[in-house]
Formats: sequence, structure tokens, C-alpha cells
Amino acid sequence: MHTFMKPKIHLSFLLAAAIGSAAAWSGTAAETVKVGILHSLSGTMAISETSLKDVLLFTFNEINKSGGIKAGDKNYLIEPVIVDPASNWPLFAEKAEQLLAKDKVSVVFGCWTSVSRKSVLPVFERLNGLLFYPVQYEGEELSKNIFYTAEAVNQQAIPAVDYMLAEGKKKFYLLGSDYVYPRTTNKILKQYLKSKGIPEEDIEEIYTPFGHTDYQTIVASIKKFTSGGKACVISTLNGDTNVPFFKEFANAGLTSENCPVVSFSISEDEFRGLPAKDLVGHLGCWTYFMSLKTSENSKFVKDFQTWLKDPKVTGIDYTVSGVDGKGRVTCSPMNLSRMGVHLWKQAVEKAGSFDVDKVRDALIGQKFKGPAGEVTMQANHHLVNNVYIGETLATGQFKIIKTFNGVGGEPFSEKFLGTKSASN
Amino acid sequence: MKLISAVIRLFWMPITLVAGQLFSGAAVTTGPSARSLLTQAVLADGVVEKERLLKELVGYEDEIVEQVLGAWRGGAVFLYETNQSRIPFLLDTQSDTNGNAKGIRIEDGRFIELTAGSPAWFTPSELTPADADSSLRKAIKTTLDLYSLGHANPKLKLAAIVKLGQEQNANYLPHFQKRLQIETTPESRRALLEAIALTRTIDSDMKTRVAAIMDLGALRSLNSISLLRTMDDSARKDPGRFDPETTRALHHTRLTIENYMWWGNLWGTLFRGLSLSAVLLVAALGLAITFGLMGIINMAHGEFMMIGAYTTYVTQGCFDKWFGGTALGLNTYFPVAIVASFVVAALAGLLMERGIIQFLYRRPLESLLATWGVSLLLQQVFRHTFGAANVQVSSPSWLSGSWVLSDVPLAYNRLFVVLFAASTVLGVYLLLTRTSLGLLIRAVMQNRAMASCLGVKTSHVNMMTFALGSGLAGTAGACLSQIGNVGPSLGQSYIVDCFMVVVLGGIGNTLGTVSASLGVGVTDQILQPWLGAVMGKITVLAAIILFLQWRPAGLFATRSRSLD
Repeated sequence: MHTFMKPKIHLSFLLAAAIGSAAAWSGTAAETVKVGILHSLSGTMAISETSLKDVLLFTFNEINKSGGIKAGDKNYLIEPVIVDPASNWPLFAEKAEQLLAKDKVSVVFGCWTSVSRKSVLPVFERLNGLLFYPVQYEGEELSKNIFYTAEAVNQQAIPAVDYMLAEGKKKFYLLGSDYVYPRTTNKILKQYLKSKGIPEEDIEEIYTPFGHTDYQTIVASIKKFTSGGKACVISTLNGDTNVPFFKEFANAGLTSENCPVVSFSISEDEFRGLPAKDLVGHLGCWTYFMSLKTSENSKFVKDFQTWLKDPKVTGIDYTVSGVDGKGRVTCSPMNLSRMGVHLWKQAVEKAGSFDVDKVRDALIGQKFKGPAGEVTMQANHHLVNNVYIGETLATGQFKIIKTFNGVGGEPFSEKFLGTKSASN
Repeated sequence: MKLISAVIRLFWMPITLVAGQLFSGAAVTTGPSARSLLTQAVLADGVVEKERLLKELVGYEDEIVEQVLGAWRGGAVFLYETNQSRIPFLLDTQSDTNGNAKGIRIEDGRFIELTAGSPAWFTPSELTPADADSSLRKAIKTTLDLYSLGHANPKLKLAAIVKLGQEQNANYLPHFQKRLQIETTPESRRALLEAIALTRTIDSDMKTRVAAIMDLGALRSLNSISLLRTMDDSARKDPGRFDPETTRALHHTRLTIENYMWWGNLWGTLFRGLSLSAVLLVAALGLAITFGLMGIINMAHGEFMMIGAYTTYVTQGCFDKWFGGTALGLNTYFPVAIVASFVVAALAGLLMERGIIQFLYRRPLESLLATWGVSLLLQQVFRHTFGAANVQVSSPSWLSGSWVLSDVPLAYNRLFVVLFAASTVLGVYLLLTRTSLGLLIRAVMQNRAMASCLGVKTSHVNMMTFALGSGLAGTAGACLSQIGNVGPSLGQSYIVDCFMVVVLGGIGNTLGTVSASLGVGVTDQILQPWLGAVMGKITVLAAIILFLQWRPAGLFATRSRSLD
């Protein structure tokens, strides 16, 4: 721990100096606040989650450089506490407990898969912690201890399907990996499509196990499905199973013109390990794309790239390690991680305290103008965000072809479907 | 009769064009050049005007049409903006060492020059492509398709014909008929006939309609089945919807095509089963030797496959460098990669046999643990060297795409795996039965002590056999890099399947491995369409467990002293 008590007189002088210039640069240590990062740095999920750890450290550095967080009459610098739950779901709960009970962090940023979030949820509720969750998910959950900066189903899947309907698609092939997010999302989508007048027999719902490599049968059935035209694939396939799928898809003579695929789990970051040329023309739907042309975004991308060359967290005695700067990009979960940190900072400053109950109240209604436009935290712990549909380019970037402005996240499908219940 | 109507259509063309009905004309060869029209289209304001200009391009047979429209669609047409003008251009395919290239003006095909004689160089990553949203791209595609009706590449021609036929746009009929008169390749002729028939099923004349529907049946047209089904269903619900002849023709044609599809499905399932079997067989053959013949529980088998796959990746990188990133390098690296992956994996196997396994021949449990350790070690080494993310292995052009046989696409990479599996099995069989090394291997595996008494250097034979098994695992890795991911965990995803196949086939029996992989592969593909991928796999695994309860020694039990 690097919290040093300072003589009172010195501190007020320091605070005065901190306004405008960075407190950290004065060379004297300031007050610090501990912030937890709960992302897998090893195991299967490491490939995605490591990027989030990096962008969080970058954001902490960004905040520390501009003077830290002003709570009450003191300025605090962020001190990261990083734990590695190693893609092991029960370990997530243990590490969360460690962060909250032992390290006494004020807030935690973390989790990728829904199962990891479900695993830590009871811990956060029992110890009254605060978690920011940044990855698109299936909804049907609302905890007072979790803020979901992630895309809810009505901020990703529903707009994508709306776009496909507007493009004149009449047949939908829902293909996903076999776990909770695709299954719940597809269940909601099926209900939504039926409400839009798509008959049951024109919707196909198929799941494959993680690490599935043999997509022959599925691609053959997609080919049959598309024979009359006007068909599209809505894919929630996860991770590297996309490679054999898209290879088989292209080899069978299917293209983005005769049957476009909208993928919800492929962002710019995934293209670091996926051959983008097999996916050209297929679609993605997110609340942020690296190719967005806003001044906030070009600053974010540029600053992040600069930071990667010399990764550090200013102002505290902390060495950043394990950052690979090669070919790095930004993507929606990364942007939403960063949004979470900034919203939390603003809420702390409004509440004047790190107390979880006070910060939670202050968070509602917080606004932040980010790279993808302004976001607002709603009372249901989800963001109002802009939704974009992008077309994959051979460079692994997306060309934005459609924007839905100010879509408010809604975790419960019965609210936006207008039905009694979509969940079990 | 048909000819006359086509001729009349041709005469109507100018009028329909004026009336704003587009895509109706045959070749328009007078007027502005293709290049200048293309330039205008790129520069035009608004999608409507762009689409109008695109439609004017229909009928031009200049290659530049395809080149520019293809580039436009793929985001490779750029704008060079100066104070006075905006010039659309393409990048030259020749680039300098920094990846910069000269810009070729679409208007006249000359380089963009800053001053006379000094061409401007552009950095591709800094350029913004000319706008092409999805509706515009659709229009570009339609223009390209109409252009492609006469394309030199038969595959593209075929795709264009099928697509335009599906649109059932009577305006395309003259294009189809004109093409049919000069078309010689049978597939394209068939596709053209199908497109014409498909378009005519909605003709207002009853006789034309019935003839078209019957034509579709005679052509076994799969592309029209969903349309025919809808028509047939609606005719059944509402008998007055069509005249009796049409209804009868619809019903008859539907049955003919559905029957044909049933056979096609059967044949497709068999091929897919065969191809999955080949994948399993290629992966398991090395293990059939190291585990089956030698009795070593080699948990690192999957990692030898990974070594092979990464060798392929490295070979690809080398060829890319030597051939300067040209297609020649991409198309030739793979055969070399197979050989290289065999050699590298065999050497790794040799090292492992000498370093670890030779001390553990009598202690199978220890060999399990030791090889598992090696497997973890290798994974981590590769993760550190090449990074945790998967690496990208590109398929050579001769392994991409598919060969369509009675409407079942046989992907070239799958066909390759089948052929490769067959030839490896044959090779291994010949090696074991027809060579002196094979004789020694069999002798040592059957009775090590006796072979040793007869003067066979058993430790050398062990070494060679293990290296052979590992080398085969390496080639499997090279092969699998063409259909799946190459990453540090590649081996993990195949190791269970490999052991499953070898155990099911009967330990120590290569023929057993072949039949087991065939059985598992085909069963899996037959079950998948009914049960889905997840349940299909579970069912196959459960069936294997039950089978092994009944016959613990597998399909072909080998009786041998060393295995007792």
C-alpha cells in the first residue's frame, strides 16, 4: 500500500497545485484509492480479457495524469489491484471475495462471460461491492451491486435484426455456441421475429459446442436454407470456432451478398486472431467501432496507442507488465470498460465519497461524452448508447453503415417485447 | 414464337429505357466510354444518380468495368482531391518497400502525377475509399452480374446466371437468351435454361408457364424448389389460384425435385461423413502407431500435430518472403509444408523418445505422466514464441472453393484431406508390410525380447517407429491447418478424438483405426441433422462407451503377447 499521511498544510498546498497540473508530477505521493481489476489473464478467455485489463490501466493512467479523483476535499490517485481468475468460474468468486474483503477495493471492473458474472454476483451482493460489467450479454438480470455498461439484447441483437428486416430478409438462421448468452438471446430474438410476422418455419435455431471444428452439416443446411434467397445468419458463435465456420461457409459458395452473417461476438480485437478476409462484407453490431470518426475517438485511439509503447500508471509506484503492444486495436468492450471508469469517477466526485451506497445513487443519471457519443447511466443500471452496424473490411476494421441513436439498454425482454415473459 | 417476343422486346428497349425501366437493354456500345462512365459514377452526387450511371454501364464488355466495380465494392477505389478537381483512382498492384503505390486514374488508366513525369505515391492505410453503402453495392453487384454473364471465368459466370435467375425479372430474359445462343459450356447452358424457366414461371401466358415449370423439373432445379413449394402449397389451399394444368405441373415438378433432393442429401451426408472420418483418421494414424503398436500412452500426440501446424505457418511465412507476397508463394508453399512438418515433428519425436520415453517402456503409467508434462511444456513454449492468439494459415487457391457434384458441394480442402488420408494409410501399410524396416517394426512390436535375441537393435527400431508416428502427427497438423484453427491449444481439441478412435478400433490394429474413424465419422454426420451438433456428439460418445462395454478390446482385437 502506498498511502502516505501528509501534514495538513502541505496537503492543501498540493491540492491547489493539483488543479490544472497533475498532482502526480510534483513527485510527492498523494492519497490513493484501490480499484480492482477482475479479468482472466490466463486460460481460454485470456485472449479477450487481457485487452480489457490493458484499457483499464490506460484509463487509470489517464485519470491519474489529470489529477486523479476529487472526493470531498481530497484528491485520490487510482491504485490498481489486479487479480487473475484464470478463466475458472468458481475462482472468479474467490478472487472477488479477495478484492472486496482483503484488499478493500472501492470498485471492481471485470468479468467477460455471463457465467463468471453469475459466479461473482452473490459475493458482490453479500459484501456490498460495486462491479462494472462491460461485455454484451443476454439480460434478464439486475443486481443493485452491478452496473452494466455492456450492450443489452435490445442494444445489439434487436437493432441488427431490425436492420436485416429492413434489408428485406425473410428467413433467419440463428447459429450460436452452446451456452447461456446465445441461447437466451436467440430465445428473445425468436419471439421478436415472430412478433414481426416471420413464421416459425423460416427461423432455424442451431447450437454447436465450444471448439467445434466440423461445420459441414451446418453449412450444408444453411445452403439449403438460402436456396430461395432472402436469408441471413445471426451468429452468436464464440471465439475461434468462427474460423472453421467461415472457411466452410466461403467454400460452399456462400457470400455476404447471397447470405450475410451478422456476428455479435466478433469485434476488432477478435480479428487479431481471425482471418478478416474470409469475413469481408459480413456484419457486426456494437455500440462502438474503432473506425468511428469523432474527435473523442481519434484521441482515444491515439492516446491508447501511445500508452502501449510505454505502459504505466502515473503517480503511483506501480509497474505495468505483460502488455503486448503489437497490432493493438480498440473495440466495444474496451470502450465500455473505459466508460465505466469515467462514469464511476464522476459519481464519486458528485457523491464526495467512495461509499458504495452513495456512489450507486450518484451514478444514476451520470453522463459522459465518449468516443461513440454521449452515454447516460439509467436507473436500471444500463446505459443509453448509440448503436452502430458495421460491415467487415479486409483490414479487420468495420465500415459503419447504419446508426441507431440513443438506444436505452433494457435488461428484461418482456419490457421491449411487450410480452409477459420471455425467460423460463 | 419465343424468338419473336424476344425480338419485340429488343425493339421496345429504347422506349423502356426512356420510361425509366432499367436493366432492360442489350449491349449498348455507342456513347461515352466505359472509363468515363465509371469516373462519372464514382463522382456522382447521391445514390440515385450513381445507380443510374451504373445501370448505363450494363452491356459494356470492357474489362475495366469489372476491375473498377469490383474494386469499388471492395473499398479499393479512392479519390485524389486537389483544389480544382476530384480524380477517382485505383492503386497500382506494384508497391514499393513501404507498401506505397502509385495511383492509376480510372479516366484514362494513366498514373496520377504531381508534376509532369513524377507520379504521386500513396499509402493505402491513409486513404479513404470512395463511398459504397449496401444499396449501392447491391446495384454494383447487379451491374457486375450482368457483365459477368459473358465473363471469361466460368465460375463467376455461373454464379451471375443463378443469381439473376432467382430475381425472376422479365427484363433479364433477353440477356439470358442472347447469352444462350453463344454459350458452349454445359453448366452455363444448364444454368441459363434454369434462369429462363424460373423467370417464365410467373409468365402471364399459361402454356409458357407450364412449359417452364416442367423444364425446371427436367433440370432438377434445386434453386427453384422453395418457390415451387410456395406455389404448390398455395395451389392446394386455394384450388382456383392457378389453372389445372399449372397446378398439375407444379405438383409433379415438386415431387421430382424433392425426390432428387433426397438422394442428394444421402450422398452429401455420405461425403461429409467420409470427410470427417478422414480428418479423424489423419489425426489418429500417428497415434495408432505410437500407442497402438508401441503401447506408449503418448499424451503429447496432439502437440506433435500442433508442431506440424506451426511448421506450416512458418513455411508459409518463408514462402511469402521469398516470393515477395505473390500468389505463387501462396500456391506452392503447402506441399513443402507437409514434408517440412513431417520432418520437424519426426525430429521432435526422436528427441522425446531418446530423452524420455526410452526409459519408460516398462512403465506405462509414468510414460503417461511424462508425456503429459511434455505436452504442457510444448504448449507453453509455442504460446511464448508465437503468442497466445491463433496464427493465420491461408489456404492456397487450389484448396479453396468446391467442386459441385449433383448439387452437393465437395470442398477442395475436404477432398484433399480424404485423398491425403487414403494415401497415408496406403503408405503406412506398404511401409509396414513391404519394407525391411516394416518387418523389423512388426517383429519388435510383437515380441521385443525375441527380436532382440535374433539380433535386431530394438532401441533403434523403437526410435524410428516413434519418429514415424510423430511425423505422421505432424503431417496431420499441416493438413488440419487447412480446415481449422492453428493455435497453442490445437492438440487439445483433437487428442480425445484420437484416443477414442484408436481404442475403438482395437489397440495395435491399423485396419481397426481406419474402420473406427469411418464408423464414428459417418454416424456423427448422419445423426447431426436430426439431433444437432451437441446431442449428435454426445450420442456418438455414449454409443462408443456402450460398445466398449460389450467389446472391451475394440472392433478388431489383436492377440499378442506383449499386449497381454
